[in-house]
Amino acid sequence: MKSVPMLSSAFLHPAGETLPEPLLALRKERASALVDMPLPTRKTENWKYSSKYLKLADDMAISLPAEGKTGNSLAVPGYKVVFINGVMIPEASEYPDLDGIQITSFSDLDSDKAKALAAKLGSTLNHDQAQFARLNGARFEDGLFIRLKPGAVLDQPLFIIHETNADASGSAYPRIFVESGANSQLTLVEEYISSGDAQVLVNTVTEFSLADGANVTSIRLNMEGENVQHIGATGVLQQRSSRFESHCVGFGGPLRRHDLQVRLEGEGAETKLNGVVVTQGKQHYDNHTSIDHVAAHCNSEETYRNIAADQSHAVFNGRIHIHQDAQKSNADMNNKNLLLSNGAEIDTKPELEIYADDVKCAHGATIGQLDETSVFYLVSRGIGRRQANVLLTMAFINELVQQIPVEAVRETAQARLSDFFEQTFQEA
Amino acid sequence: MLSIKNLHASVEGKEILKGINLEIKAGEVHAIMGPNGSGKSTLSQVLAGNDAFEVTEGEVTLNGDNLLDLETEERAREGIFLAFQYPVEIPGVSNLQFLRTAVNAMRKHKGEDEMNAAEFMKLAKEVSKQVDLDPAFLKRGVNEGFSGGEKKRNEIMQALLLQPKLAILDETDSGLDIDALKVVSDGVNALRSEDRAILMVTHYQRLLNHIVPDYVHVLAGGKIIKSGGRELALELEEKGYGWLGIKDDDTSN
Repeated sequence: MKSVPMLSSAFLHPAGETLPEPLLALRKERASALVDMPLPTRKTENWKYSSKYLKLADDMAISLPAEGKTGNSLAVPGYKVVFINGVMIPEASEYPDLDGIQITSFSDLDSDKAKALAAKLGSTLNHDQAQFARLNGARFEDGLFIRLKPGAVLDQPLFIIHETNADASGSAYPRIFVESGANSQLTLVEEYISSGDAQVLVNTVTEFSLADGANVTSIRLNMEGENVQHIGATGVLQQRSSRFESHCVGFGGPLRRHDLQVRLEGEGAETKLNGVVVTQGKQHYDNHTSIDHVAAHCNSEETYRNIAADQSHAVFNGRIHIHQDAQKSNADMNNKNLLLSNGAEIDTKPELEIYADDVKCAHGATIGQLDETSVFYLVSRGIGRRQANVLLTMAFINELVQQIPVEAVRETAQARLSDFFEQTFQEA
Repeated sequence: MLSIKNLHASVEGKEILKGINLEIKAGEVHAIMGPNGSGKSTLSQVLAGNDAFEVTEGEVTLNGDNLLDLETEERAREGIFLAFQYPVEIPGVSNLQFLRTAVNAMRKHKGEDEMNAAEFMKLAKEVSKQVDLDPAFLKRGVNEGFSGGEKKRNEIMQALLLQPKLAILDETDSGLDIDALKVVSDGVNALRSEDRAILMVTHYQRLLNHIVPDYVHVLAGGKIIKSGGRELALELEEKGYGWLGIKDDDTSN
């Protein structure tokens, strides 16, 4: 029998001792559980299309130092918190001291609060489906804890800039935990960017816990460089009548993986997940989403679009699990894909498990190419072929981009996508 | 302006155009009539540069320049405009964005400054009024959910914005009720000018009551078999294509 590859023990040694004791203890405990963690192979169901892109060298186990310049990020119209290599940089961050809203780095938590957080950290995620969240749990050096008291409303979006400074090989483990109290409101923008060109791993975990009636919008922009392997997980727990909305825009890389898990635990909770992925060259991107309808009368609506050019590879796996007591669930999942070349590959898989008998659950997936008739129509009006291709490709995802609720992010996403396609169609 | 000599074209190896000869001068309006399957739409598509059709013989020049050497977009920039029989719906690209991109591509080609969003909006609103399209259509996806008549008006609107040298109207009257036909015809008549030519392709002569052509040609079996003045269209209307010994089986186009 062939031996299964294991996570190198080099990855089991965390750096950074600035965390409060309860979090250090938690990290240690999780690291010990990682001994003999098998790495995914093509036989690992939830990694079968992506394991070949995972290339972890021992020198990538080193924690990247929390230093380097900041400034690649977009102009931020709201509050911002800057992390470099997974550690918060207070002097680059600007956020208010608002009543009922706590925004604190893990390192700054007092022992009681750290203890309370340690009890919750990881609780929103199914680690069997997001294996690498375990690695983050054993390695995070810092993190951001956001807590909104009941009724608190953050008046502007909070931007979290995660910059990876890759001057040397190594890895970073950004971590966020958001506790959104009853009827509180928050819009959080996570932006992942990088500088430098050494081979690095960015392994993130973001968690949202929404109490009754909480309303959270999450926007995630993944724009790291060609030297960054990114494996991220987002866990969401929703109580009664809460509303969660997610907009993910991802640009391909050597390895891009995002697991998004939502558990609808209280009646009347709603979740809406939108995702756009674009890949070109030999890039890869894999989105795995999972929605658990645990309670009755919940709604979920999921729309993902992938566009793959050249020899790139995009993956979408959408799981919906409707539990036995989740009567009157309403779930709608839609995944449309655009292949821009013969060499590109897109794998899409809906996974539906329904154990309640009075539910509405719809899913659809399509894969297509640019429509030649549409191209001809545009060029017959004097529009250049390249521009026509860009227009039609943008059109495929425009509906989703237009739904991004923060104007600055929407415009940035639009501009970057447009640049991306200009590059894609350069040869045409 | 446009000179077509012995044009042969085929699609998927099947020859559709079998030696077309046609001269169109600036200021003239020509109508090409013919039964379904005679090659009318093929001629329009070949002139506009659709790759699906292969030109196997002959030449086409626009003001002396070889048209067939040009890419579709270059032909458009040189002044060829085709109003489609079946305009394409493109959700996700707004009509406004599409029209402005096209107008600016043209302006750039002519060395003129591109129009900004506000300038273009003003122009687009004026022209949409001319074809009786609610300006709300500008915000919708290109032809998305438009009725047949709205699509045809949108085509004429594009012609009015792009101000082509040669406007080719492919079955522009099909699917129009009498009111819409009037609006579309008024739009086309507004295009008539001394330095512009119009080529109308139509099965029926009713459009020609509204847009009176200078010349009428009958296309059958991939060739022009008869040319004349506007009275030829009336004669065809009265006697049918059978009069010229052509079968009009109405089964294909």
